[in-house]
Amino acid sequence: MPHRAAAFIALCLVLVAPGVARAESSPDGALARLLGDARAAAAKPQACAHSGNDRLVGILCSGRIRVGVRDEYPLFGTHAAGTWRGYEIDVARAIAQRLGVTAEFTKVKPATRIPMLAEGSIDAVIATMGDNTQRESQVRFIRPHYYQSETVVVGPRDLAIEAQTVRGKTVCVNIGNGSNAELVSQGARLMLFDDAAALPDRLNDQTCTLAAQDDSFFASYFDEPPFAGRFAEKFGFAQVPWGIGVAHERTARLAAALGLISQIFHRDGVFLAAARANRIGTDFLLRQQKVWAQPECDTANGSADPNCVLPAANVDLAPTPFAERVAAFEATIARLTGVEFTLPMLKSAPAWSLFVGGIVNSLLLIAGALLATLVFALLFGAAMASRWRSLRWTARGVTAALQSSPILLTLVITASISRAIFSYSALVGLGAAIFALGLTNGANAGQAIAEAYWTLQKERGAAASDRRDLFMRALSRSATQIVAFLINAAKGTPIASFIGAPELLSALTDITSFSSGRTTTYTLLLVFYTAVVISIIGVCRRVQAVLERGRAAI
Amino acid sequence: MSTFAGIPAAFFPAFLAGMRVNFEIAGIALLLGIAGGMLLAAARYWGSVAGMAAGLAVGLMRAAPTFVVMFFLLNATPPGIVSPVMIVALSLVPYAAAYVADGGLDALRAFHAGSHLAAFLILPNIARAFFVLVMSSSAGAAIGVHEGIAIILQQAQKMPSTGGTLMLFAIGIVCFGIPLQTGFVAVRLLHRQLSRIAEHDPRRTLSAATGLSR
Repeated sequence: MPHRAAAFIALCLVLVAPGVARAESSPDGALARLLGDARAAAAKPQACAHSGNDRLVGILCSGRIRVGVRDEYPLFGTHAAGTWRGYEIDVARAIAQRLGVTAEFTKVKPATRIPMLAEGSIDAVIATMGDNTQRESQVRFIRPHYYQSETVVVGPRDLAIEAQTVRGKTVCVNIGNGSNAELVSQGARLMLFDDAAALPDRLNDQTCTLAAQDDSFFASYFDEPPFAGRFAEKFGFAQVPWGIGVAHERTARLAAALGLISQIFHRDGVFLAAARANRIGTDFLLRQQKVWAQPECDTANGSADPNCVLPAANVDLAPTPFAERVAAFEATIARLTGVEFTLPMLKSAPAWSLFVGGIVNSLLLIAGALLATLVFALLFGAAMASRWRSLRWTARGVTAALQSSPILLTLVITASISRAIFSYSALVGLGAAIFALGLTNGANAGQAIAEAYWTLQKERGAAASDRRDLFMRALSRSATQIVAFLINAAKGTPIASFIGAPELLSALTDITSFSSGRTTTYTLLLVFYTAVVISIIGVCRRVQAVLERGRAAI
Repeated sequence: MSTFAGIPAAFFPAFLAGMRVNFEIAGIALLLGIAGGMLLAAARYWGSVAGMAAGLAVGLMRAAPTFVVMFFLLNATPPGIVSPVMIVALSLVPYAAAYVADGGLDALRAFHAGSHLAAFLILPNIARAFFVLVMSSSAGAAIGVHEGIAIILQQAQKMPSTGGTLMLFAIGIVCFGIPLQTGFVAVRLLHRQLSRIAEHDPRRTLSAATGLSR
């Protein structure tokens, strides 16, 4: 009999053991143990008064978890009439319930959420915070992530555009958005706004045809039929997983508990249900539910498995070889003057590349515009001084049309025609700008040459028989006007950025869209162009003096 | 509802409202330019250190590209303090002030030389500057100002055919061209009239000596 009993017990152990082992290694079991240990620690005499406790013990002691949330982010976190609503609010409440405490909400902004965590005024942040490599040193991100956003380009429903055709198009963005660099790399032209909240308004009033922002940001707008009726998501890129954030210090247990809860919430569809309840996108959460339901991920260590968990978005920009010296220089200037002085174009490799390219292209553009102005001046001058009336009137008509067209419109017309003939490229943009600037200024200078020609002919009467000689004299006489229009052409070159020519203004706009230091950047830009134009004025005045000496000799 | 070439009827009032913005911008820039330019002209006329500083300032203002100044102001001023329309107007002030300073210096010289009528020749030049400013104010399209060219470009993106788009651009040129060419004709007539009166001024030789006759 004792043998039978022993055999029965052994059989039971064999049958139950795998289940027990699985329970032991499941996230649920691990969470139960972790919370049990933490509750035991919190129950010890004087434990709650101890300042060195893990934050999880502190939360259990106080019976509340202080969560930093957004209060003006529709569908994710809003606070109106004393009521908190949104997906992140529901997530925070579900977590609090799982921990057996109540959730206490504190409003945070992107600028305040990390400092508030660090100073300990909140226990966790659930506030639209993307998990990226730059923030990892400041925040401990909980994985798996509770949501994932991507940047979407939004435009009119009837406008056909995709990632491959965004090159050369103007896209409105807010400054500092990490995905701006990617849009720049796709050849889009950016119009910058300080605040993302301006983007839907600018789409509505047609200031912007396209705007790029997080899909989470646009979610509430697409929830409104008038907006959804007019606009649609064209394409998405730059996915960023959102993570619950906790401080680095004294949060090992809290982070582990939140990680396990997140795993369970994905597996059991808690995140998914909250997303559906708040009418936000669920594609990511559906994919994650499948991942975390897999046996190999549904373990206590699943959140450490790179096959299950998503990495942080890599937003680190490769530094230039001299970035450290630039940073030291900036610090010195700031120390000596008290003025914040930043040179973003010298510190990261992509920015440096854009900067150098911008300077080279600007100088090419200026040289090209000067040459084109001179060539068109001679052509228009010759045409308007021609003995053939039809040629004269044609040239005068074209000149009048060019004078009547604002340079921006002339530039756009030239760019449109160029794009119809050639496929778009930076070179085509530069070429179109050179042509437009040369044509506009050259036509005006040509008119001055022709006027000088006819005046000379009138003065000389019958003696003016050699047309070539007369034309050369007309060139000398109109030297002042020719120089004025050459200077005007050089001054007008930055406008080429409007059609996507990659000159310095365009390059610096791109750089400031993903880095800081706007004031310094645009001050340097102003200094650069003013210095270049002053140099050109100097050179032109010398050319003018030479031409006028030639006239005196004649 | 379309009028012709696929251009909707709603475009025309919007475009005219946009052109009004161009004229407003030019008006603001010119007023500020006259104020600043005349001060600079006075400083240059009376010479000394202030005159040299004014000369240097005029040189810099003449060289500063309007489009870059506009982006500088847009990015250097705290958001929400200055409206985009005002930013465009302010970006045109260096050009306007430098232009007025040059003309103002000539006018002051003529005035002090006794040729008061010759001094008034600055008026047609200021009128000419106004029309140049109207055309230049189209740069505002680059920062989202709803001026005439911005309205044309917004409509151009919706045009179904290239022909319609070109028609739209042509309308823009004609609509900007009419006030511009009319303005220039008026300026020429005014200039001619003033010159004719100045020629009958017994003190014109003094004004000619100042170089005003250029």
